[in-house]
Amino acid sequence: MKYTQPSTNLGAPCLDSETWARKLAPRLTRLLLTLTACHRAPQLPLIAIIVPSQDNPYFKAEAEAAAARALQLGYRVRIDAHNDDAYRQDNLIDAAIASNAAALILDNAGTDASISTVRRATQAGIAVFLIDREISAHGIAKAQIISDNDQGARLAAQAFAQALNNHGDYAELIGRESDANAQIRTHGFHAILDASPQLKLVAAQSANWSQSEAFQKTETMLQAHPSISGIIAGNDTMALGAAAAVKGANRPDIRITGFDGSNDAINAINSGELTATVLQPAAFISQLAVDQADLYLHTHTTGKPELQIIPCDLVDKSNAAHYKDFAKLP
Amino acid sequence: MTTPTTLSGRALLLLLKLRAVLMLLILLAIFSALSPTFFTANNLSILAKHVSISALLATGMTLVVLTGGIDLSVGSIAGLSGIVAGLLINGLTLGGSTHYPPIPVVILAALLTGALAGAANGLLIARFSVAPFITTLGMLYIARGTALLLSNGHTFPNLAGSQAHHNTGFPALGQSFLLGIPTPVWIALIIAAIAALVAARTPFGRHIYAVGGNERAARLAGIHIARVKLLTYILSGLCAALVGLIIASQLESAHPATGESFELNAIAAVVLGGTSLMGGRGSIGGSLIGALVIGVLADGLVMLGVSEFWQIVIKGVVIVLAVTVDQLQSRVQFRFLNALFRPKQEAAQ
Repeated sequence: MKYTQPSTNLGAPCLDSETWARKLAPRLTRLLLTLTACHRAPQLPLIAIIVPSQDNPYFKAEAEAAAARALQLGYRVRIDAHNDDAYRQDNLIDAAIASNAAALILDNAGTDASISTVRRATQAGIAVFLIDREISAHGIAKAQIISDNDQGARLAAQAFAQALNNHGDYAELIGRESDANAQIRTHGFHAILDASPQLKLVAAQSANWSQSEAFQKTETMLQAHPSISGIIAGNDTMALGAAAAVKGANRPDIRITGFDGSNDAINAINSGELTATVLQPAAFISQLAVDQADLYLHTHTTGKPELQIIPCDLVDKSNAAHYKDFAKLP
Repeated sequence: MTTPTTLSGRALLLLLKLRAVLMLLILLAIFSALSPTFFTANNLSILAKHVSISALLATGMTLVVLTGGIDLSVGSIAGLSGIVAGLLINGLTLGGSTHYPPIPVVILAALLTGALAGAANGLLIARFSVAPFITTLGMLYIARGTALLLSNGHTFPNLAGSQAHHNTGFPALGQSFLLGIPTPVWIALIIAAIAALVAARTPFGRHIYAVGGNERAARLAGIHIARVKLLTYILSGLCAALVGLIIASQLESAHPATGESFELNAIAAVVLGGTSLMGGRGSIGGSLIGALVIGVLADGLVMLGVSEFWQIVIKGVVIVLAVTVDQLQSRVQFRFLNALFRPKQEAAQ
C-alpha cells in the first residue's frame, strides 16, 4: 500500500505542519534520548524491597533504611507493600522476578504462607533476605535477620512491673491476634508478669495494632475496671491510643508501656505519657540485610548463619534522647 | 372471631416494629446484669461518645440508602478529613513560608473536603448514572490514597496546636463536655435531629423517600432526581468528615488509615434500624437505635472481656438476625393487611 501524497495546494497547513515538525524534532530527540537512558538504567542491578505497609512508621523506617543503603551501594531499588496479604505478596514477587531483581529484601506476610513464594523467588535466581519476621522453613532464604521479640517483650514487661512496683491490677492491649509477633510479645510479657503474684491481669483485649481502636477499648476497660494502674501494649500505636484515653479519663497515675520504639512513642516518653517502650532496631536490620545482600551478590556467601537474631533495646526517660528513627544515635 | 386474630396480629406487628429497641433493651439488661460498672453514668457517657461516631456516619448513610443508593466511601473520607486537619494544624508551607490557619478554618477545610468527595460521588451517580456501589467503591480508594499521599504515610502528631501559632483548641471538639455530656454526642444528636426533621417534614425529605420508593414515578411527578441524589451524597460526605475531625481531635493525631471498615458499621446500623437497602423505607431514628445496638454490643463485650474473635462472630449474628426479622415483619404486615381488608372486599361483593 502506498500513501497518497497530500495535494500541494494546501499551502498554509503544510507550512504549519512544517513548523510543528521543526518544533517537535528537538523534543522528540530528547524524548528518545531519555528513553534510551531509561533503557540503559536497568544495567544497574535491582534490589526489590517488600514490606507490610507504608503507613506504619516502623515498616516505613525499615523500607527507607534499606532503600537508602541500597542506593548508596549502587543499586536500583523498588519499594512495595503487601498489606499483610500473602496473595498480594505473591504477585509482587512475581513482578520482582519479571524485572530480574538481583536481591529481595522482604518483611513477609506470614510465617507459613510465605514459604512457597520465597522458594519460587530463590529458584528464579533472586537472593532473598528476610527481615523483621522469620518463615518456618530454613535453607531457602539467604538470611533471616529478625529482632528478638521475645527478649524485647521481657524487657518491656520488666520495666512495666518495675513501674507498678510489682503489684496492682493491669490491662493488656494485644496486637492483631493472627500475627505471630502479637503472640510472641504477649507470651514474653506473661513470662515475666505472671511471676509476680501481686500483679493481676484484669482485662486483655486485641486492638489490632490500631490507635483509635486502642483508644475506645481502653476507655471501656477503664470503666469496667477502675482499679487498673497500668496498661502494657503490644505496640506503640496502641500504647499511644491508651495514653489518649488515660488522659481523657484524667488518670495520670496509670503507667503505660509500648513496643517498637517509634519517634512518636519516644516523644510521649519525654512528655511522661508513656513509661517505656522497646526499640526494635529496624533501620539497623534493614542496613544489615542490604550489606549482606551486596556481599552475597559479589562473593556468593554472607559469611553469617541464616538466622540472625538482633536484640532490642529498652527506651525510657533516662535514655530516650539517644534513639531516633528506629536506631540508636551514634 | 376476627378481633382476637387482628389484636394478636397487631401486637406481633408492634413487637416486630420495635425489634431494634427490644434488642437494645435486652442487650442493656444482659450487660448491666453481668458487669456492675456497665450501667453507670460515667460508662454510659463514654458509650454514647463511642456510639456518636457510627451514629453520625449512619445518619448520612440513611439519607443515601433511602434514595436507593449506598456510600462505601465514608470511612476513607473520614480518614482524609482527619489528615487535612492534621496537615493544616502542623502548618502548610506555601511559597517558602509556613501558614498556620486558625482552627475554624481548619475545621471548615476538612468539612469542605468531605463535601467535595461526596459531591464527586453524587455527580457521577446522578449525572452519569454510574452505579452507587461502584462510584463510592472508587471513592473509597481515591480518598484513602489521597490521605496517604498528603501524609506520605506518616501520622500527624500533636494536633493540640501551639500558642505561638494561635491554633490551639482543636482537641476540644472531641474531648470537651457540654452540660456533662461529651461534645461528640451533642454533635451527633443535633445532626441526627436535623436530618430526621428534614427527612420527615420537608419537601426535600419527601423527595428522598419518593426517589428511593419509585424513581420513575418520582421523575414523572416532577422531582429533580439528580439534585436530590447529589445532596444526599454531599450530606453523607459531610457527616464522614465530621467523624474524621472528631477522631483526630480525640487522639490529638491524624493517621491516614483511620476509618478503615467504618462504612460497614454504618451500613450495619442502618440495616439494624430497619431501613431497606432497596430504598424508600426507613428512618434516621431507626438508624440511631441501630448504631446504639452495635455500640452497646461492642463496648459490653469488651467490658466482659470477651475475645476479639467472638466479638466479630456475635456482631455478625446480630446483623443477620435483625435482617431476618425484618423480612418476617414485612410478611406479617402483608398478612395482617390482608386479614384487615378481606372482610370489606367480601362485603362489597
